[in-house]
Amino acid sequence: MKIIVCVKRVPDTETRIRIAAGGKGIDNSEANFVLNPYDEYAVEEAIRIKEKTQAEVAVLSYGPEEATKEIRTAIAMGADKGILIKDPKALVRDAGAVASVLAAALKGMQFDLLFFGKQAIDSDEASVGPMTAQLLKLPCISFINKLEIGNGTVTAQRDVEGGKEVVASPMPVALTAQKGLNEPRLPALKGIMRAKKIPIEELAPAQVKDRVEVISLELPPQRKGGKVVGEGKDAAVPLAKLLKTEARVI
Amino acid sequence: MIAPETARLLRKTVARFVDREVRPVANRLEEGKEFPWELFRRAADLGFFRMRYPKEKGGAGGNATLFNIMCEELARGYMSLAAITAMQCLMCTDFIFKFGTDAIRDEYFHPAMRGEKVGAFCLTEPDAGTDLASIRTIAEPDGDGYVINGLKTWITNAPVADMFTVLCLTDRKSGLKGANFFLVDRKTAGVSVSKKFDKMGTRAAVIAEVAFENARVPAANRLGEEGRGMANLMRILAEIRAMTAALSLGLARAAYDDSLRYVKERHAFGSPIGSYQLIRAKIANMATEIEASRLMLYWVTDMLDRGAKCLKEASMAKYFVSEVACRACDEATRIFGAYSYSNEYDVNRYFRDTRFLLFGGGTSEILQDIIGRELGL
Ligand SMILES: Cc1cc2nc3c(=O)[nH]c(=O)nc-3n(C[C@H](O)[C@H](O)[C@H](O)COP(=O)(O)OP(=O)(O)OC[C@H]3O[C@@H](n4cnc5c(N)ncnc54)[C@H](O)[C@@H]3O)c2cc1C
Repeated sequence: MKIIVCVKRVPDTETRIRIAAGGKGIDNSEANFVLNPYDEYAVEEAIRIKEKTQAEVAVLSYGPEEATKEIRTAIAMGADKGILIKDPKALVRDAGAVASVLAAALKGMQFDLLFFGKQAIDSDEASVGPMTAQLLKLPCISFINKLEIGNGTVTAQRDVEGGKEVVASPMPVALTAQKGLNEPRLPALKGIMRAKKIPIEELAPAQVKDRVEVISLELPPQRKGGKVVGEGKDAAVPLAKLLKTEARVI
Repeated sequence: MIAPETARLLRKTVARFVDREVRPVANRLEEGKEFPWELFRRAADLGFFRMRYPKEKGGAGGNATLFNIMCEELARGYMSLAAITAMQCLMCTDFIFKFGTDAIRDEYFHPAMRGEKVGAFCLTEPDAGTDLASIRTIAEPDGDGYVINGLKTWITNAPVADMFTVLCLTDRKSGLKGANFFLVDRKTAGVSVSKKFDKMGTRAAVIAEVAFENARVPAANRLGEEGRGMANLMRILAEIRAMTAALSLGLARAAYDDSLRYVKERHAFGSPIGSYQLIRAKIANMATEIEASRLMLYWVTDMLDRGAKCLKEASMAKYFVSEVACRACDEATRIFGAYSYSNEYDVNRYFRDTRFLLFGGGTSEILQDIIGRELGL
């Protein structure tokens, strides 16, 4: 069996967000980058399948040169090989463009399972997985939190409003990983020592255009200090009034 | 050659382990005063103990730089765990690995790498600390083995150790020239371990005395050629000192990180305390000394990795960085005010743990003396 996991390099959640000059993008010059946390669930799931079935796990990233670091993190966790579609602009492209680049590269590759994280924690669009699947005409199961591999098929569980849904699909299939799918491992020392020795294949991106344009970007307004409206029972009436008139939540 | 990328990935991984799994439980474990079995096994699973040993022989093929990055990050989280891990990697297994027979390695070294056996390293005696030449423990040749008598004290891991690497004289007349290391299994008749010491800091790195009373070991348990004990100890002394500097650097960083956060949050007289010059000076001094420590330590590990002679530099690094850690933790407790006096705060633990760094790997006084001697005095 062959598994490909698509991963993205993203700023970690503790990075203080700063708007870049021009007001249309984020200044990431001081950010710490990590492997997208949802992609970690995907990598972990792929490695667990590998450990059971001897599948081969490849990690694919569309990113700048530095994204080799996140690919190597995945290799240190246990993936067998890495592929980088190198493009210094990759991380700011729209979801459609990213999906097109990935799909173009994946067309020439063989796989039974194609994993994504459910979303990247930087742009939060949750689109690239399903869009790529669509371009490749693959079935897609998104937001999975449980997966079983059958004979040429998969059965996955996903959360739906107020309940669970169990779905099946033939392979090859695209899957997007949700929190709860597993507990991603830390790379062990052996994996860390081996990661650098595995060459990362580089591909050129297909020529595609962004169609969605960011017009402006701004930070949420600074939170104002709280307000004490009274104590105990006496607070109820003024509080309800303010929630209605000022906060307009009731 | 180890790639910088490997070093970066290692630091990131250990840091993540520390932040997620170690720091949240450190104060509780410290209060419990028990050997931290769970974290010890996690460290084994992550392959940490294998760091310094070659790949062909069951190690991970790391080098001094990687080993010290690991020690530094672990110490930033929890000194007891860092000290135990560093010892399991270095002093508690090095002689067994280098001088043990295949059978000895199978019985002790490989299980230690897997975290199934705990080692301990025994130099210090009640009347011989800094002055190692005063040790009295003797291993007398007897038939096809040796019989050991003596008392070792301040032995880290002794309460839980499965094996001891013990510095003994084989003949009292020649002093340290007749010194050898012996591997002693805890189950050997005549070996007894005292109850554990109650101490100020690094409480989960449990310590006790180990007594040897006519403890008989086979000849193969002499680790190294006859009379080469001290020479073989010198071989890893620079590494031990660098490692203690790495533990110190990690602790200094922890004190600094917590302090920097606190001075922005804590207000007095209407402003964050970090806005006052005297507090800023503390933070600036910590940051500066930490930067200097980092340069010094990784300069030494680079020398170690190049195979250069660096006992002087390693002694300087141990001396300097352990004093930096003491100053940083002292300042941190001042910055936290009364809260640092509460056992619930991490800085309280840092402050207690710094004192250990002053003695392990050579005291500041003796290191200054050694550095002076190296300088021709
Ligand atoms: C937490 C902890 C863990 C330890 N773990 C181990 C272990 O696992 N195995 C082990 O073998 N030992 C261990 N030790 C012991 C440690 O190695 C000794 O404490 C150290 O060697 C110093 O010896 P001492 O404490 O007897 O001090 P002493 O040697 O008695 O020194 C007392 C004071 O005199 C000073 N002094 C001594 N000689 C001179 C000199 N020539 N010139 C100037 N000043 C001098 C010292 O600097 C110190 O200030 C541990 C100690 C601690 C605190």
